[in-house]
Amino acid sequence: MSAALPSPASTPSLLDRRAFLRVGALAGGGLLVGTYLNFGGATALAQTAPGSAVDFAPNAFIRITPGGAVSLIAPNSEMGQGAKTALPMIIAEELDVAWDKVTVTQGDLNRAYGQQLAVGSMSTPGNYSPLRQAGATARAMLVEAAAQTWGVPASECTTENGTVIHAASNRRLGYGALTAKAAALPVPPGVAPKDASAFRLLGTRVPGVDNEKIVTGQALFGLDQVLPGMVYAAYVKCRVFGGKPVSANLDEVKKLPGVRDAFILDGVTGLMPGVAIIADSTWNAFSAADKLKVKWDEGAAVGESSADMAKQAEALAQGAAAVALPDGAKGVEATYHYPFLPHATLEPQNCTAVFKGGIMEMWVPTQIPSAGQGLVTTGLGVAAANVVVHVTRLGGGFGRRGSNEYSLEVAAIAHRLEGTPVKLTWTREQDLAHDNNYRSNGWHFFKGGVDAAGKIVALNDYFVKMQGGPGDMTAGTFPFNIVRGAAVQSGKIPGTIRTGYWRAPGDNGNIWATQSFVDELAHAAGRDPLDFTLDLLATLPAPPAAPGAFPGGPAGAGARGGGGRGGPGGGGRGGGGFTASRMTTVVKLAAEKSGWGKKLPRGQGQGLAITFTNNSYVAIVADVTVSPQGVLKVQKLTAAVDAGVIVNLSSAESQVQGAMIDGIGAAWFLKATVEKGALAQTNFDQYPLIRLENAPPVVDVHFIKSVAAPTGLGEPGLPPAAPAVCNAIFAATGKRIRTLPFAETDLKWA
Amino acid sequence: MSKFTLNVNGSARPVDVADDTPLLWALRDTLGLIGTKFGCGIGECGACTVHLDGVTAKSCSVTVKDVAAMKITTIEGLATGGRLTALQQAWIRLDVPQCGYCQGGQIMCATALLAAKPKPTEADIDNAMGNICRCATYTRIRAAIHAAAGA
Ligand code: FES
Ligand code: FES
Repeated sequence: MSAALPSPASTPSLLDRRAFLRVGALAGGGLLVGTYLNFGGATALAQTAPGSAVDFAPNAFIRITPGGAVSLIAPNSEMGQGAKTALPMIIAEELDVAWDKVTVTQGDLNRAYGQQLAVGSMSTPGNYSPLRQAGATARAMLVEAAAQTWGVPASECTTENGTVIHAASNRRLGYGALTAKAAALPVPPGVAPKDASAFRLLGTRVPGVDNEKIVTGQALFGLDQVLPGMVYAAYVKCRVFGGKPVSANLDEVKKLPGVRDAFILDGVTGLMPGVAIIADSTWNAFSAADKLKVKWDEGAAVGESSADMAKQAEALAQGAAAVALPDGAKGVEATYHYPFLPHATLEPQNCTAVFKGGIMEMWVPTQIPSAGQGLVTTGLGVAAANVVVHVTRLGGGFGRRGSNEYSLEVAAIAHRLEGTPVKLTWTREQDLAHDNNYRSNGWHFFKGGVDAAGKIVALNDYFVKMQGGPGDMTAGTFPFNIVRGAAVQSGKIPGTIRTGYWRAPGDNGNIWATQSFVDELAHAAGRDPLDFTLDLLATLPAPPAAPGAFPGGPAGAGARGGGGRGGPGGGGRGGGGFTASRMTTVVKLAAEKSGWGKKLPRGQGQGLAITFTNNSYVAIVADVTVSPQGVLKVQKLTAAVDAGVIVNLSSAESQVQGAMIDGIGAAWFLKATVEKGALAQTNFDQYPLIRLENAPPVVDVHFIKSVAAPTGLGEPGLPPAAPAVCNAIFAATGKRIRTLPFAETDLKWA
Repeated sequence: MSKFTLNVNGSARPVDVADDTPLLWALRDTLGLIGTKFGCGIGECGACTVHLDGVTAKSCSVTVKDVAAMKITTIEGLATGGRLTALQQAWIRLDVPQCGYCQGGQIMCATALLAAKPKPTEADIDNAMGNICRCATYTRIRAAIHAAAGA
C-alpha cells in the first residue's frame, strides 16, 4: 500500500544533468534541444550525428522546424498550478521567441525530463535553471549559425521574436532558416542566461495554454480519456481502513444490466484489496456497485475513532514540561486543535489503462508520473520499461496525486482483462473514504509568557499528531527559534488512517496554531500584533549557513514544515535560507497596503499572520466583519509575497489567491472524523468546501520585485490565511478561535 | 434499456440506456460530451451543470427520461460556429481556470446569470454562482462575469 513520495535523490535531477544538454537535427530539417540520456557516461556535451535524431526527438524540450514553428515541452504535470504555461515561458524567454508563436505539449513520463515532481511547490523552482540553460544554449547556437552565414562576429548579433538580427548591416534571419546550420554546430558550454532585468516575457501575465480547451469543454483530464473498446470499472473497498473482502454476491452482480464481470482482487503487493466490477458504462458500474453485498474482514481499525484520539492527545500532553516564568511575567496557556482533511480534488481519482503484448499503457492524472510505474512494476511484475505513463491534466492535486494507488487498481484490472482498455472511476464517496494521505489531525498544547516589557520570555509547545507522515512541529518554527529556552515536545497517536501530504504539509496546521498563539501573546503583552511581530523579526540573527532553514532551525524543518519531504532544496528549490529582512519587508508591505492600524468599531477587525513556506515569504492581513448575531464576512485579504522572480504573474497571483481562500475555507468549514475505523463524512453535503458567497470579495496580492531565483507559489499563500482571519475575528469580537473548523464556534458578541 | 432521443446542442441524439441513467452519464459515456464533469453525483458541486430549456440544472441529478422532451445545452454547445461567447473569452483573457475541472459548470451558471441579468450585482453573482471550485478561483470568476457583462 505504501506509495511514499520518492525523495528527490531517487530520480536523477535535471539540475545534475544540465551539462548533458544535447542538440540535434530534426528529421527533415530543424533543431532539437533536449537532454542526453547517457546517465553513466562521462560525455559532458554530446551531439547527435545527423540522421540519428529520431530516438532523441521524444526527449527534446525544444523543437524548431525549418518553417520557424517552435514547440516546447512542459515536463511537469498540470494540476492548476500553471506549470504547463510557466515552464515553457522560461524557455521562450531565453530563446527569444514570441509567445504566441509557440505551442506547448505535456511531457509524458520520461527520465530525460529529470524530476517530474509536481509537489512541494517545486515545479518552477526545480526547473528554472535547467530550462533557462536549454533556451539560452539554443539561442546562442542560432546566433552563431547566423553569424557564420553573414561572416560577422556573433557578438554583433541580437535576437528578437524568433529572428537573429545584425543591425549594422540591417540583416535578419528567422530561426527556422538557421536550424540546419545550428544543428551541425558544436554545443557551446556554459552559455550565460539573460540577466533577470532584461526579461521581456517573464513577469508578465500569460493566460494558461489550455484555457480555450477548458472553456469549450474539450478532453484534457484523466476522466476524459476514451479508448476504442473501453470498458468501465468500479472498485469497491472496505470503508474501514485496512479492511478486506472475504466474499461477495458476485454471481448476482454479474447478472445486472451492462455488467461484464465482477471479481475480488487481493494479494497484489501494494494494492488495497477490493471488489472490481466491469461494465459497459460508468453508470452501470456504479449501479451494480450499489447492489454489491460484501462480507468484509474489517480488521483492527474498527475500534478507532477521532473522539478516542482526542483523549489520547490529552493524555500525552500530561507529559508536557512546565515553563518557568520569571517574576512579574504573565503566563498564557492555550490548546489548539485541527481535524483530519481529505484533499477532495474536484475530479475524483481515476485512471485508464490497457495491458497488451506485455506492455501496460496508462493515462494517469498524477503529480508524480514515476510513482504509478513503480507500483505496477512491484505489484504486477511488469518491467518498468514496459509501463508507459501518459500524463493527463489533473482536476486538482493539493498533494493527493503524489500517491498513485488508483493507477495500480486499474492496472490490476487491466492485467486481468488483457487486451481490453479499462477506465476506473471512483465515486465521491470512495474518494473521501479512501484518501491515501489525509491531512493529519493535530493538537498544540502551548505554554508561554510575556514580561512587563512586552517580550516573550517563555514558549513551549507539546505537539500531537498521528504517527507517520510529514508535518512535525519543530523548534525551528518562528518564533520558537528565537525565544531563549523555547521548546517543542511531541507525541504521536497510533492509527490505521493514512496521513500525509496535503497542500503546505505541516504548515497548514502548525502555522495556524503558532500564528494564532503569537497573536495571543501580543494581546497578553498589550502590544499591537504588527509591532510585536516586527520586533521579533528584528531580534533574529543573520542568515544561518544551512540553506532552506528558517532562522536558527535545522535545514528543512521549522516554519517550512517540510521536514521529511526529502530535503529542502536550497539550490534546487531556489531561494536559499531565510532572511529576516525579506520577511520584514513583506510584513511592512502587507501592513501598508491593508491600511493596518485603523481604529475600528466592535464587530470589525484586522488580523496578521506570516509564514516562510517553500522558501517563499508571505504576510497576510485579513479584514473581517462579524455581525452582533455572529455572522462572519471576510471582507478583504491583503497578501505581500516574496517568491523571487515571478515567472507568470497571472498564475502566480491566482495561486496565492486560491491558496488563501482554500486555507480559509478549510479552517472555516471542513472537518473529517474517524468513527468505527472509517471516515464519517461521505460526500460534499458533509464536507462543505467553500463557495463563492463566502470567498472574500477583495483578495489583493502584492509581489516583491526580485531577481532572486523563484521559490514556491502553489502552497505558501495557504498557511497564514486562516490565522490572519482568526486573529481578525479576535480583534472584532474578543473571541479566540482555538478549534477548527471555526464554523462550529458561536461568534455572537451582543 | 430504452431508446431516447435527446435534443443536445441543437441536434437530435439517440441514446440507448437504462431509464434511471443520469443525464450526466449519457452525455459523457454515450454521447462522448465529456465537457460536462462528474464531481459528486448528488447535486452538490455543480461540475455537471447544463442548461435545460435555458435554465441551469445538475445533470447528475436528472435522469435521461426526465429530460427527453427538453432542449439540452452543454458547455460544448455555447460557442456558435467556432465563435466563443463573451463570457468564454473573458474566462480565457482573465485566466480564470486553475485546474479547470469546475470551469465548464461555472461558465454554464454564469451564462444563465447573464441571460437573466445582463448587469449583475455582487449579490446576484453570490446567488447564482453556487458551484464549488476546489481551486478557489472565485476572485477571477467574479471579475470575468463583470468583464463579460461590460463587454
Ligand atoms: S456531479 Fe452533479 S452536482 Fe456534483
Ligand atoms: S479550477 Fe480547479 S476546481 Fe475550479
